[in-house]
Order: sequence, then C-alpha cells, then structure tokens
Amino acid sequence: MFRIIGDTNIDFIGARKIAFVISLALIAIGVFAFVMIASGKGNLGIDFAGGNLVYGYFDQPVQIDALRSALSSDFPDAKITELKSFEKENAFIIKIKRPESEAQGKERAAQLRNDIAAAFTDNPFTVESEHIIGPAVGETLRKDAQWAVLLSLCGIIVYIWIRFDFRSGVAATIATFHDVLAVLGLTYLLGVEFDLLLVTALLTLAGYSLTDTVVVYDRIRENLKHFRTKGQFAAAVNASINEVLSRTINTSLTTLLVVGTLFFFGGEVLRTFALALILGIIVGTYSSVFVASPIVVEWEARHPRRFKN
Amino acid sequence: MSMKNWRVGLTIILILGSLFALWDTFRLWSMDDTAKAKMATDEPGELLALQQKAIRLGLDLQGGIHVVLRVKLEEIDDAQRDDAVDRAMQIIRNRVDGLGVAEPTIVKQGRERIIVDLPGYTDAERAEELIGQTALLQFKLMETPDNASVLLQRLDSAISALEISKLSDEERARLEAGEEAVTEEVDLAADLLGDTVSDTAALFAFEENTSTAETEFPLTSRLEWALYSSRTNTNWPAFAVSKNDKEKVDQWLNDPSVASLIPIDVEFAWSTRIETRNSKQVYMLYMLKRKVQFLGKFLENIALATDNMGAHVVNFQLSGQGAARFSQLTGANIDKPLAIVLDNRVESAPIINSKIRQRGQITMGSSASFEDARNMEIVLKAGALPAPVEIIEKNVVGASLGADSIKKGFYSSLLGLVLVLLFIAIYYRLSGIIADIGLLFNIFFLLAVLDALGATLTMPGIAGIILTIGMSVDSNILIFERIREELRTGKTVRASIDAGYDRAFVAIFDSHVTTLITAGALFLLGSGPIKGFAVTLFWGIVISLYTAFVITKQVFDIRKGYRTLSI
Repeated sequence: MFRIIGDTNIDFIGARKIAFVISLALIAIGVFAFVMIASGKGNLGIDFAGGNLVYGYFDQPVQIDALRSALSSDFPDAKITELKSFEKENAFIIKIKRPESEAQGKERAAQLRNDIAAAFTDNPFTVESEHIIGPAVGETLRKDAQWAVLLSLCGIIVYIWIRFDFRSGVAATIATFHDVLAVLGLTYLLGVEFDLLLVTALLTLAGYSLTDTVVVYDRIRENLKHFRTKGQFAAAVNASINEVLSRTINTSLTTLLVVGTLFFFGGEVLRTFALALILGIIVGTYSSVFVASPIVVEWEARHPRRFKN
Repeated sequence: MSMKNWRVGLTIILILGSLFALWDTFRLWSMDDTAKAKMATDEPGELLALQQKAIRLGLDLQGGIHVVLRVKLEEIDDAQRDDAVDRAMQIIRNRVDGLGVAEPTIVKQGRERIIVDLPGYTDAERAEELIGQTALLQFKLMETPDNASVLLQRLDSAISALEISKLSDEERARLEAGEEAVTEEVDLAADLLGDTVSDTAALFAFEENTSTAETEFPLTSRLEWALYSSRTNTNWPAFAVSKNDKEKVDQWLNDPSVASLIPIDVEFAWSTRIETRNSKQVYMLYMLKRKVQFLGKFLENIALATDNMGAHVVNFQLSGQGAARFSQLTGANIDKPLAIVLDNRVESAPIINSKIRQRGQITMGSSASFEDARNMEIVLKAGALPAPVEIIEKNVVGASLGADSIKKGFYSSLLGLVLVLLFIAIYYRLSGIIADIGLLFNIFFLLAVLDALGATLTMPGIAGIILTIGMSVDSNILIFERIREELRTGKTVRASIDAGYDRAFVAIFDSHVTTLITAGALFLLGSGPIKGFAVTLFWGIVISLYTAFVITKQVFDIRKGYRTLSI
C-alpha cells in the first residue's frame, strides 16, 4: 500500500484558537470585499457593470504602454491586457466599464477603434471579438447572480439541517460562508474582476467545501457511537479528522491537479475561474478541518448534550 | 446473481446507447477542415444535419454573435403593446432565416427582451443591421408571365456561360503544363453555349432533372413552377426552389454578369418561410416589379377571423389617403397577384379578387393552418405598427478565438485527466486502474448525455467536465481509503470491500446532493455559458454516482473472492 501519510494523530482541535484568528482575518477581508462590491466600488466585471470588451490583434508588435497612452485621453480607466498564448501575435484585450446609457456603449466601441486607428496608422488593429453590455443587462445579471447565490446557499443549508443535527448544520453553514468570503476577499486583494464566472466559481467551491465538511461530519457521526461519554467529544472529533485526513489530502491533490492544468493551460477566459477554484480548494480543505469541526467542539464544551447510550 | 446480471445488462445498454448518441459527433469531429469544406459544397444538407445531430458548440467555442434586444415598449401605444415583442421576434426570425446560420435561436426573455444567438456567424455589422432595423412592409406587383419567361431564358444562358468560365478557369490553372485538354474544354463550352441559346423548349422543365438540363438550364432546372400556379390557377412567376439550391441561386443572381441582365424595374425576392413540398423543403422565389405600390403603415385594425366557409382570413381596414390609393391599386389590377413584402421577403402573394376601398380581407388557402394565418396577421401588424428595438448587449466571438478556446480547453482537460489517471493508478495500483476505467466511462457517458439532450458545450462547460473528473475521483478515493482502513483492522477482503462501499456511500451521497443543489441554482441563473456549466456539472455528478456504485462496484464484487487486494 502506497501512502502519502500514515495513521496520524495530529491535535487539530487543539490548534483551533490560532485557526479562529486566521479565519476571522479571512472573513474580515471577505466582508470588506463584499461591501466594496455591493456598493459598486469594487472591481466589477463588465457583465455586471456594463461596458465594452475588445479582443483584437495588431499586424506588428505594439508596446502595451503605447496602446495605453493612445487610449488615455478618451478612456483613462481602460484596462489593457496583453495576450501571450493566443495563436495570433500582438493580441490585446481592452476593457472599458460603466457606460451611462445603451447608446453610449456603442459610441464608445466606435471611438475606441478610431483612437487605435489614429494612433497606429500603418499598423492595422483587427477586432477578433467584441462584447458590449449595456447598463440594463448588467443590472439584470447582478440580480440573477444574487438570486442564484441565495438560492443555492439556502438549498444547501436546508439539506445539511435535514441530514445532520442543528448544530452541525449551523457549523457547516458558517464554514461554507467562511470559504466563500475568504476566496472573495483573496481574489479581491489579487485584483481579480468580480464577474459572472467568479460567481460561478464561488458557488462551485461552496459545494466543494461542503463536500469536505460533510465527509468529516459523517465520520464524526459514526465515531460518536464509540466515544459516547461527553468528556471525549473533542477526542472523537479529532480522531475523525485524522481518519479522513488521507482522503482529504488525496482529493484536494487530484482536484488541484485538474484545476491547476486549467489555470496554466486553459486560456485567458478560464484563468480567474481556475484561480478562484484553486484558492477555494485550499481554503475549503482548511475550513473543514479547522473551522467546521472546532465550532461543533466549542459549542459542545459550552452547552453539553447528553448522548444516547 | 440476477442483481449482477441486471447491472451488467444496464451498463451494456448504456454503452450502446452512448455509442449511438455520439456517432454523429465522432463523425463530425474527426473530419478535418478540407473534408468539411468539401462536404459543404457537395452535400450542404448532409453537413447541416450532421452539425445539428452532433454536440452543439456554444458561441464561445465556435464563434458567433449573441445579441440581446429590448423592444422599446415606451414608444408604443398602450393598446398595441400586447404582442409587440412577438411582432419584433417574427421580423427578426424572418430576417435571420436569410443568413444561412445552422442553428439560430431567437427567444423571449422576460417582458421586453429578445435574445438572438447566431452560432458560427461572425459578420457583426450585417447581423446588427438586420436585427436592429425597424420593419418595412411593402406591397408590390409581380412581373408578367411573358416577360418573366424571356428574362429567365436570358439568365439561364448567362449563368451557363458563367459556370463554364469558372470551370475552365480551374482547368487552366491546373493544366498549365499539358495544353491538349484546354482546346477540348473550349469546344465543350462552345457546344454548351450554342445549345443553350437555340433550345428554349425545355424551359420550366423541372421534371427533366438530368445533368444536361442542369448544365444547359442551370437556373430554370432548379425552379419549380407548379406550386404557385396550382395554388392560384395562374402562371405568374413564382417558383419553388429546393432549400439546398437557394444559396446557389442567390450567388448566380448576384453575380455582376447575371445581375446586369435583370431590368432595373424587376427584382427577385424570396419567401419569408420554408414550405414543405412533396416532402422536400422549398423556398419560393418571386419575380416582382420593383416599384413599391403601397406601404404597410396605412393598414389599420388588422384582425384574424374565419369566413363563412370556415377558412382563416385576416381582415384589415384602410382610411383616408391609404384607402384612396389602395382602391386605385386593387381596381386596376384585379385577378393579378399582389405581393406582401416584408423587409424584401415575400410573405405571400394573394390574387386581387375585387377592388378594395376601406375593408379588405386576405383569405388563406384551404391548406393554411391557424399558425399560417397568425403569421400573416403578425407580418401585417409588424408593417403597420413597427416595434422599435434597441440592442442592449452584443457579443461577437471571432472564429479563431473560438478555435483557440476549444484547443486550450481540450488540451488542458486532457492533461488534467492524464495526471489524475496516473496519480490514481500509482497510488491505488490495480484498484486505481479499475477506478481509472470507471472515470473514462464517466466522461464517455457525460458526452453522450450532453449529445442526447442537445445541450450546448461551452468553455465553462468544459470546466464543468474537468470538475466532474475531480468529483468522480473523490468518490473512488473515499471508497478506497475506507477499504484500506477496514483492511488495516484485519478484516477479510470480502468484509472490507462490503464495509468500504457501505460506509462511503453515505458521505458520497451527501456530498453529491449538495453539489447538485449548486448546479440547480446555477442552471436557474440562466445565462448561456453558466447554464452550460450547470448542465455538465449536474449530469457529471449523476453519472459519477452510477459509475462508482454500479460499474466499478461490479468489478470489486468479483474481487471479493481474492485473498489479497491490490489497493
């Protein structure tokens, strides 16, 4: 039998105080990011904010700074990215956000092309793809995304509360929110745009992190049969975490393998999606061990329940 | 034992079903670009059918245009708002139909929005022009049968010459070294041209659909005259053209050498819709007089009804200036057809029965359904009460960006898959290899389900497949780790496998259900690419449960008899 780790007996529960500090910090960043995004100050993607995205390439090499300065007078907040691995060379993505009206979105698209053509007269810019989103569509997408998040989180919580006891349900919910907020906060710090794909990633990782938590809880439920006396509750939880540790690590590793290839080779469109999932897998694994289970232990320590014999 | 047979049987049925579902996709995807191009010219209908049956690629993967329109309801009177969006959709459908897009979708979103998806079509300016314009409904007279047949003869010779000149161009390029073939070619061309000019008896000879007829009368041999004439008992120039020939006919009519022969006051116009004629799909090609006789904006109170014979009719009224003009027009042209032209496409060309002053009625033919009558009503209304639209979202994805995405998506999934397969095989040895086979089945079934459901594969959808790989591996890891634990406590192989599967099942089930809930919520969120992700995730999870607890379990049931287990 080939094993990365053998039988372990690490005192995860003992380290819960340190973990709580780290988690509170992560949650604080997440809440900050959430407030910034909700108030519209955050780095919203064009699908939520409305705006233009132009995907195109020049015939001859162009310095990104030259392109930036060509656009700086009309579009000071344009975001320009050079595309390295696209089959056409000298390819760039240009994003402009927040048009004030539907008509303005169109005008800006034309103006952007004109500005580029004027600045690079003998180096034509071919537009390969273009996305124009008016403010009304952004508004709708924002609302749809809010509903999707609310709906899936409620659905998951209800399911957990049905399958497990009330305390586990609450703890699993906290852990899930913790993960989503943590990744939201981390991506915010990394300057990742908040767009529909990121929302999708956040919801996916909510499901993923819950899977981890559920596996641990499942083992706790099984082990409590052996550790019936209340003094040993923490020991039962710790033993459960240790027992499923090899599964936790193996699954995280394999999932990281696939999401990692997506990050490195999946192309520009999916890069931030993959990044969010990578962060989510790490945080989710951490939270199932250091957040979800310790909460149940703390709760038990303060308000002990009697276990059936 | 019967339980085992049931599992094996079901799996075999699923494998066969999946092979069947994926067959067309496999055929399409295994063709290279030249083979596709060849098929597009030789058998365009076949290629279209294949594309429709294979897994559909989203706009982000094959390129295309996605447009969201808003009908400006605030600019329309209260009373006419009801079906304004339907009218606008009808107009757009009408126009998009002429673009030759394989699978256009036009759907209503909410109260005032229309989503138009044109996969594979990347001419943004033309699409925008077509979709965003306000409808124009005109009434035109048709060219007389005599003039029409003379013109068709001339066009036939010109097209025939055009085709031959193309042929010899190719030959010339190919045979620059060997000259003898060229002279033969010229002789042939002379023969053909001579014949075409002298022999006009075969005009309208649709039945005589031989290869000579096609060379000599390239245009008229593709026009079927009988459909309109039998319907109206007249010989006005309206012809049925097979759907597959439409592109070709369009090309010819727009070629400068042919177009210059068409008199300035005559034009050709296609019908708005496809009809089925002798189990063939046909468009109607009308030869119209270019002059606009009357405008749709004068029509009022358009309404559906049935006449005393039970046929569907569309009633309309005219007043003031419109009534005077229409009565003059209809009075002067009794027993002639009047073509109802929406955006340069003919909706219908009913025969004028009598002079119409203030109230008119269009009687639909005996074979017309309620749908046909309703379409006629919408077309008339669209011309009378145009529904102005604005574009509120436009996404144009170039074909090479799509190709780039699919390449990256494909290779990164493949790489991720190989890494995972290796990891599992090394870590769990023979058991890992069994799990790997299960994993491959998983992906195979998932693609088949997507194909069978007619789902659209998008870039996030590919990400969904990759995540499914992760989920399905998780099931196996949970089971294997559990079996290992049981083995370590000294249990027999049989007891360990039983316990492993039993105990892991609960955890796997719970975790899958929570992901299913997420997938469901994402599906309801509804935007195209995200929906693609949700669909792949949902089915991936369901299938992963099946492969873990039916297919790989079957193999493990056999291994229960072993003394030791490679795990």
